[in-house]
Amino acid sequence: MNISTPMKRRLSLAALAIFLLAALAFVMLRSGPLAPTRVTVSKVQEGTFSPALFGIGTVEARRNWMIGPTVAGRVLSVRVDVGDSVKAGQLLAEMDPVDLEQRLASLDASITRAVSAQAAAAAQQLDAAARRELAAVNFRRNQDLADKNFISAGALEARVQEKVSADAAQQAAQASVLGAGQDLTRLKADRAALLQQRLNVRLLAPADAVVSSRDAEAGSTVVAGQSVLRLIDPGSLWIKLRIDQGRSAGLLPGLKASIVLRSQSQTSLAGSVARVELLSDSVTEEKIAQVAFEQMPSAVSVGEMAEVTLQLPATSKAVLVPGASIQRQGGATGVWRIASGKPVFTPLRLGASSLEGQVQVLEGLKAGDEVVVYSQKALTSESRLQVVDALVKPAGAGVAP
Amino acid sequence: MISLAGRDILHAWQKFVFTGLGLGLLIGVTLSMAGVYRGMVDDAQALLSNSGADLWVVQKDTQGPYAESSSIKDDLVRSVLGMPGVARAANVTYFTMQVQQGKDEVRAMVVGIEPGQPGGPGYLVAGRHLTRSHYEAVADVKTGFLLGDRIRIRRHDYEVVGLTQRMVSSGGDPMVFISLKDAQEAQFLKDNDAILNDRVRTAANPAFNRPGTPGLLDALQATQTSSHNVNAILVQVQDGLLPQQVAEPIRRWKHLQVFTREGMEDILVAKLIATSAKQIGMFLVILAIVSAAIVAFIIYTMTLGKIREIAVLKLIGTRNSTIAGMILQQALGLGVIGFVVGKLAATLWAPVFPKFVLLQQGDALTGFGVTMLICALASTLAIRAALRVDPAEAIGG
Amino acid sequence: MNQGGILIEGLRKTYGQGDTAVEALKDVNMTVGPGEVVGLVGPSGSGKSTLLKCLGAIIEPTAGRMVLGGNVIYDGGWKIPDLRTLRRDSIGFVFQAPYLIPFLDVTDNVALLPMLAGVSNAVARARALELLAALDVAHRAQAEPSQLSGGEQQRVSIARALANRPPVILADEPTAPLDSERALGVMRILNQMAQQSQTAIIVVTHDEKIIPTFKRIYHIREGRTIEEAGEGRSLEGMA
Repeated sequence: MNISTPMKRRLSLAALAIFLLAALAFVMLRSGPLAPTRVTVSKVQEGTFSPALFGIGTVEARRNWMIGPTVAGRVLSVRVDVGDSVKAGQLLAEMDPVDLEQRLASLDASITRAVSAQAAAAAQQLDAAARRELAAVNFRRNQDLADKNFISAGALEARVQEKVSADAAQQAAQASVLGAGQDLTRLKADRAALLQQRLNVRLLAPADAVVSSRDAEAGSTVVAGQSVLRLIDPGSLWIKLRIDQGRSAGLLPGLKASIVLRSQSQTSLAGSVARVELLSDSVTEEKIAQVAFEQMPSAVSVGEMAEVTLQLPATSKAVLVPGASIQRQGGATGVWRIASGKPVFTPLRLGASSLEGQVQVLEGLKAGDEVVVYSQKALTSESRLQVVDALVKPAGAGVAP
Repeated sequence: MISLAGRDILHAWQKFVFTGLGLGLLIGVTLSMAGVYRGMVDDAQALLSNSGADLWVVQKDTQGPYAESSSIKDDLVRSVLGMPGVARAANVTYFTMQVQQGKDEVRAMVVGIEPGQPGGPGYLVAGRHLTRSHYEAVADVKTGFLLGDRIRIRRHDYEVVGLTQRMVSSGGDPMVFISLKDAQEAQFLKDNDAILNDRVRTAANPAFNRPGTPGLLDALQATQTSSHNVNAILVQVQDGLLPQQVAEPIRRWKHLQVFTREGMEDILVAKLIATSAKQIGMFLVILAIVSAAIVAFIIYTMTLGKIREIAVLKLIGTRNSTIAGMILQQALGLGVIGFVVGKLAATLWAPVFPKFVLLQQGDALTGFGVTMLICALASTLAIRAALRVDPAEAIGG
Repeated sequence: MNQGGILIEGLRKTYGQGDTAVEALKDVNMTVGPGEVVGLVGPSGSGKSTLLKCLGAIIEPTAGRMVLGGNVIYDGGWKIPDLRTLRRDSIGFVFQAPYLIPFLDVTDNVALLPMLAGVSNAVARARALELLAALDVAHRAQAEPSQLSGGEQQRVSIARALANRPPVILADEPTAPLDSERALGVMRILNQMAQQSQTAIIVVTHDEKIIPTFKRIYHIREGRTIEEAGEGRSLEGMA
């Protein structure tokens, strides 16, 4: 067929116009508000999983000591340094005894004097005893004489009074001796106390440990309760683990733990929960547990951060649904189920969830139901859906428009 | 009656189509600018919708948390939970910062959320929600991150476990969701140099460094490096209650400001976007004027090129209305071509824009109407010239 | 409306007013019968163009009477309300140059006026093809004006002038750019068409090649016309 040039031109321009309009219509329908929402779906199946608890913690020493004086004083010498291993009873540091020696000397002198006073009191006692004897003999003789009326009553009373006085003098002398003895005892006790104090200025290691910090040098003044050295028992390192209270169901002593230290992030160490603390942190709303290492790692330091995952026993068989598909509508939690191509919101009762994002469904879905997992925008019951394999290309290409 | 305008267009189709293309690109730019504005409004709407909140509780006398900075204690949420009508309440933090991945840096809004509570993303496009309490992140695809990427926020590395779409701040920055505690640390904890500096300053202060109270300095330095602030509390009200009813008791608390959805929209759209809206409005006016000028010029030139034919047509008996109609139809035809090209171009290049461009059908229809109007007005110059032609000029002498 | 021809009595046209007034036409009298082809000859500045413009209802005369096709169109003032429609339906124009509409093909160039007058496209095109065939350019019916030779274009413009079957055709120097053979050919066609449709034709010219072909010639000088008999040389056998 011979088409004239103007006709050809008209046809080709018309074709171009139709193409442009078709492109426009296509583009307006595919993107923009008229386009259907792209979603991915998944058929739910029954299954089990091993839920896990996750938390972060810091490495702490289970047994640690703070070595310091019980009274304010000046540090005389510090004999160990950070990192040294010490044995129980080892001298670690000494406080300045100040006047302790002088006071001991003074006490010694007092004791010596007390001994002398005791001797003097004993001699006095002998003297008083002798006088009493004499007075007693005199009294008896005068008594006899008085009985035979050889002396006057007055003379007998004098002898009686002499005897009483001598008795009293003897008692006084006895008391004096006792007093001198007590004085001596007191002074000896004082001395013993000073000796204890002198022992106190010697700071000894309470157990086998490693020095973790040296807080005061010789010559510094420290108050009672201030630390001069800190010790830790290196074999007692454990992790103080913090787990969100809301996600700590099933936290019990004995759970197996997988520990990743911040400094060794490539290796995972084994451990277990040694203790779950009775006291939780109410400010940060975290439960605290202590996780012990199965084998003490070589290069770990106190205060180091660690990530700990605790394995809980596997759940019972139940319908599992990906956590990404769970939505909230009007106060209820559930998923969008596909029923004959349209989305229907199905409220669910949920159970445990795993760290990989799977959630148990206790009520509301059965195996084989299709649920919407990922969607381009929030769904309503009137949304038109277009099911695709993936919304995000795995590497490099970005989101499909 | 044949269409004179149509025949003229067919005859000089290249000129027409090329002019239409040029005009189309101009119209495309105009539509895109309107789309940028709509996108900004939609960003704000998306931000508010995606947070899933009915009420925003922020620091008193501020317009936060998006338009202004707001800081409240994180234990206030418990008291808010106890207020009547509150179904759910959760702390959130928002902080715009640079997030690193490998060698690239992305500007993102880091959102601290409690998983399962208001504030987190409602739907994902890949991966899963946060399950661990630390060091996991869900990022918007606009960041360019992929599942499994390790990203650095402040002092820690996070693994991207989920991807979302259209989760952006009101400024268009993509969001990255991390756990609330991590976000509090990221927002309020400074870098090591600053921490050391603070420690030294505190230790140098004799009031804090008393020998008689050994634990004081350590406790003080610990409080300096911990943070218990959040930017806002997001509240969902119980079914059947009006947000206003629930907001009023909370507001009366006197230490907090509460905004409903309308209030937040007003702040974001009316105040935050106002300057940009004015700029875009001015741009649209300028573009409209430029388009009108171009169409007027083109049609005028095309008409002048036909002046002799127009004189002849007038002479042999063509009415003024027919001639004016021909010029008007040409101008409108140019407008139609320009609009189709422009709408196509705008739709094709919209995803490439760094900001979200929302091309609404209503805007397209309005744009079409305005284009037709501008073309009609622009043709008046040429029509005037054509009508003024003296038919006698066709007869020489 | 093919009866009546042209009748002009005492036509006057003054440009300007007062001191600067110019009397282009002082006293013009012409009659042309239906089917007649009459020449209008005169030097430049004699008022030929003004007379054509008055006749073509392009400008308004100052005084006089004009009757076209049996209808009084001017008698001291326009007697027809719509001059444009008058020109479209009652007067055919042939110019020095063909002045075809470049964006319409040949058929549509010719069919344009009938279509503007309300005739259906099909009928208008059919009539156009008839005219083109009569003028021996039907083989170029689909072509664009730019593809035609000068002579073909001129013939198409004559067809255009005839398309609406006007009672009057005004031709302004239709042969000026043509050589003698073509010029005579155009005159032959005009005479043929005039005979066939009884159209009254005035040809303004100063082309010596065709003046001998007129049976009657009007000379116009300084605004006045004088009739004289022409040679009336035969045009038979011309292409």
